[in-house]
Amino acid sequence: MAFGLMTLDAYTTWLSPIHNVVDHLVRPFHWLSNIPDRVLEWGEVNTEPRSDIQKENARLKQESLIHRGQLQRMSELAAENLRLRQLLNATELLMDSVLVTEVIGVSPNPQSHTVTIDRGSDDGVYVGQPILDAEGLMGQIVSVYDSHSVALLITDSSHALPVQVLRNGVRSIAEGTSDYNLMRLRFVSPTSDIREGDQMVSSGLGGRFPVGYPVGTVTSITQKPGERFVDVEVDPSAELDRSRHLLLVFTVGETDSNGALR
Amino acid sequence: MNPVNYIIPVIFSLMVAVFLQLMPSTGSWLLWKPNFLLLMVIAWILYIPNQYGIGFASVVGLFADALFRTPLGHYVLVFALCGAIAYLLSRWLTYFSMFHRAFLVFVLVIFGELVGAALFSIWDIPKNLSHLHILGFTSAITWVLVDRFVARIQLHHR
Repeated sequence: MAFGLMTLDAYTTWLSPIHNVVDHLVRPFHWLSNIPDRVLEWGEVNTEPRSDIQKENARLKQESLIHRGQLQRMSELAAENLRLRQLLNATELLMDSVLVTEVIGVSPNPQSHTVTIDRGSDDGVYVGQPILDAEGLMGQIVSVYDSHSVALLITDSSHALPVQVLRNGVRSIAEGTSDYNLMRLRFVSPTSDIREGDQMVSSGLGGRFPVGYPVGTVTSITQKPGERFVDVEVDPSAELDRSRHLLLVFTVGETDSNGALR
Repeated sequence: MNPVNYIIPVIFSLMVAVFLQLMPSTGSWLLWKPNFLLLMVIAWILYIPNQYGIGFASVVGLFADALFRTPLGHYVLVFALCGAIAYLLSRWLTYFSMFHRAFLVFVLVIFGELVGAALFSIWDIPKNLSHLHILGFTSAITWVLVDRFVARIQLHHR
């Protein structure tokens, strides 16, 4: 019976209504299990000394000023980039807009790297939509419900995404390994110009992930004797097992019924 | 004399297990976190084998499949096998000390993880088994609390 169920579930969609029903049933448990974290967060915010808050406020103001300055330079560079692309008759880069969302649950199975977020089809979320945190690319949406969705993280062993080296544009595929701090590049030739410390960004190939978002940093390159390809390990940029507030990326032209916080 | 019906305490204890299972954890804790649902199933089978057996383990396994988002049937098999072993040994284990019960749980959890890894390998999903002994150890320690919890509920409900 168990093997029959597994085969049915893996190769057909007949059992997906059961998954949907249980997902709705389990949602209150996700909410309940998050209470200790929320209480801790609330406690940290409300018991912090006034002087610390003032110090942090001053630091954030300073950081904001620096970032605004950098942003001005970025806008100038973006405009220049657009002009150059137009001169080359190249496709115009799509501008991305984002929607803030919060993690309301994580997969209890350590082998399955998924998170549940508090935005669903009511907010215009769709299957395949990329999600980010403040540090980099986190994953993509795999199931959408009315008011919540499930996202598969880039470190899940069933996930792969096209990437490129920021320094020189060398392309590859980054695969998850079921470890939150490790990804591997597939089919990298020993002659490829990839070095330790190289920053990997999404290449945009395949059309699923937008181009240019940080994916990770190359931490080690090893070649085993007799192997045709080198083993390249990448440390993901995103804080996959820590981030609570995430961004859902909408590219121009994609549906959005709500449009909140764009 | 009619047997005591334990449906409500069992559902309550399973809800507590789901709550603990879903509680977010980070880093290595994720790999060491015991399978609370499996521990609770083993506990009820050991305490009331005449009412809760392999069928009960399978039903909870089906729920675990939906909860863990694994293909339906995966945890049905793992829970049913672990439940069957617990059921077969339940009469002897009544006379065993807490240490021996905890050791059995250590073995059962490792067995369950190995069965799970074998099933994952069918779908070509790699499973890291390097943490297995630590998971068994944390499960055995947690078992002491689960055992006391179920014993207290049973005593209170009788």
